[in-house]
Amino acid sequence: MPSFDVVGSSLVSGILLGGVLSLTALGLSIALGVMGLVNLAHGELLIGGAYLSYFMLRYLGIDPILGLLLVGAAMALLALPFQRLLVAPLSGKGMEAPMMTMFGVSIILQNLYLLAFTADTRAIETAYAASPLALGPITVPKIYVIGFAVSIVLVWLIHLLITRTAFGRELRASSADATAAAVMGVDVRRVHALTFSLGAACAAMGGVLLGTAFTFTPSSGATYLLISFAVVVLGGVGNISGTLVAGILMGLMQSMGALVLGDGYRDFVGLVLFLLVLALRPQGISMKGAR
Amino acid sequence: MTTRSVYAPIPVARPAASRLRQTAMVPFVCVIALCLAGPLLSDYALEIALRLMLYIILAEAWNLLAGYGGMVSLGTASFVGIGGYAMTGLLNKAGLPLAIAIPLAGVAAALPAALISRAVFRLRGLYFTVGTLAMAEALRMFMANYGGFGGATGLFLENDPPGLSALYWIAVALVAFTTIVMTLVTSSRFSILLRSLRDDEDAAAQIGVRPFRIKLIAFVLASFLMGMAGALQSLKLGMVEPYGMFGVQWTINVLSIVIIGGKGLRAGPLVGAIFVVALGELLADYPALHLSLTGLILILVIRFAPQGLVGLVTRRFRHRKGAA
Repeated sequence: MPSFDVVGSSLVSGILLGGVLSLTALGLSIALGVMGLVNLAHGELLIGGAYLSYFMLRYLGIDPILGLLLVGAAMALLALPFQRLLVAPLSGKGMEAPMMTMFGVSIILQNLYLLAFTADTRAIETAYAASPLALGPITVPKIYVIGFAVSIVLVWLIHLLITRTAFGRELRASSADATAAAVMGVDVRRVHALTFSLGAACAAMGGVLLGTAFTFTPSSGATYLLISFAVVVLGGVGNISGTLVAGILMGLMQSMGALVLGDGYRDFVGLVLFLLVLALRPQGISMKGAR
Repeated sequence: MTTRSVYAPIPVARPAASRLRQTAMVPFVCVIALCLAGPLLSDYALEIALRLMLYIILAEAWNLLAGYGGMVSLGTASFVGIGGYAMTGLLNKAGLPLAIAIPLAGVAAALPAALISRAVFRLRGLYFTVGTLAMAEALRMFMANYGGFGGATGLFLENDPPGLSALYWIAVALVAFTTIVMTLVTSSRFSILLRSLRDDEDAAAQIGVRPFRIKLIAFVLASFLMGMAGALQSLKLGMVEPYGMFGVQWTINVLSIVIIGGKGLRAGPLVGAIFVVALGELLADYPALHLSLTGLILILVIRFAPQGLVGLVTRRFRHRKGAA
């Protein structure tokens, strides 16, 4: 049996990482809730953010945390033409065509990363990624704490964006009833484009944080996509506070799984949890936000 | 007859009997051609033909799910992998003859499908898709980490696997079996029930179709076929390991075959398999480029030819016929 210090540190790490997971899941959740799009390329957008930050640090010397918003903005801009060219023309053709299109995008991006950056395992290397932060018996890497804090702030900002701004009102209107919103003068096409961008930005910023805390390869995206999706289902689609709680719960469960079964089982536990939730409680943990 | 009127609102689901017989003839002719060609082929050609047949079986099964049932699965790899591992286990541990071990490997793949169905059918469409993807990823991680089935290195067949020409005949037999099953399924009442669920599950349930049962039968049947294909693959390699047998490339290839060929069309898997295997052979030295190109073709087909190559050709053909 591992000592109390190890267990405690591991659980706190899980909670902290869970915060980052809620950020990446939020991006997926917004696209699903507003546009009905299952963005199967979410994982690749996340890894794209990690690569962007990696090269920014390496060639421009920009710190990943300071450059976080820059990466988010860059990915949001890059995502706009994707949405215009690939997703928008398929609107009104059901959920399957856009979903499969994004699956195609995911295959393309993953292999382009492979061609451009090789299959090498990389990590965004910073001083705070390796150094620990001790609080009594509990020791966690500094980046976990930074990642958690940054993610919570970002999730809160997105919450404000959706609940307090004119754009947020249009977004909520389009989500509730796209046709009625269009009749009332909401430019639904524009809302969808910006929603997709926002989702991509969340993925990329989450990717920067995860790429600093962990290593990544061109094919790491699929697992993050599934874990994010699990968090979305657990928290309820379009439910921000639910997503936050679910993300933290997911991080905690993953850490417990890794502790009990071994580190290789970390993501396995997340996926099994996901399948269990689908089987037993597909409406998520809270009743609010259930569809 | 009340049951008649029940099916009336879905005319697409009832092709004329003569046309049905016509389209059903095509795969049978292909199987006969495969039988005749077998003894004449070189080793390289046998190798390609074997891969083609493997993908035809998988694509037929996936087409049953996605094309006829509207259940887009991203879990193909899990059933291929389970079939392959079960096959290796059955041969090594029980020493069963191939004729028994291959169908049993299919059954081994169908069992988890039945188990998982409760989870993935609970909600519609997208949950099935993402749920099957999660299942495939989870299985691959489990097999790589768990030591009981050879871990990341995998398992070897203890006895020598059958030679290339023997494998070819096994594959021909499996393709023939798949063709018969698919012809029976797609020309029966079951196919109408399945397609009614695809087109409008609520309406179908209202008039008495049982969604869970019908989807479960399709899912189990497709997994059975996929498991047998996985068994064939493990025989061909003489070994199984998690990254190959549970690899996402199975899922990608099979999905692209059916979408490029023509989803929900009887000839779609055949045409798509020929296209994708040929493309793979042309770009065999550039795997990353090959997959990127596959993704691109996938996107273009979804956008501009939702019925795939077969749909494109038949539409053009009908057009000309109409003009004449």
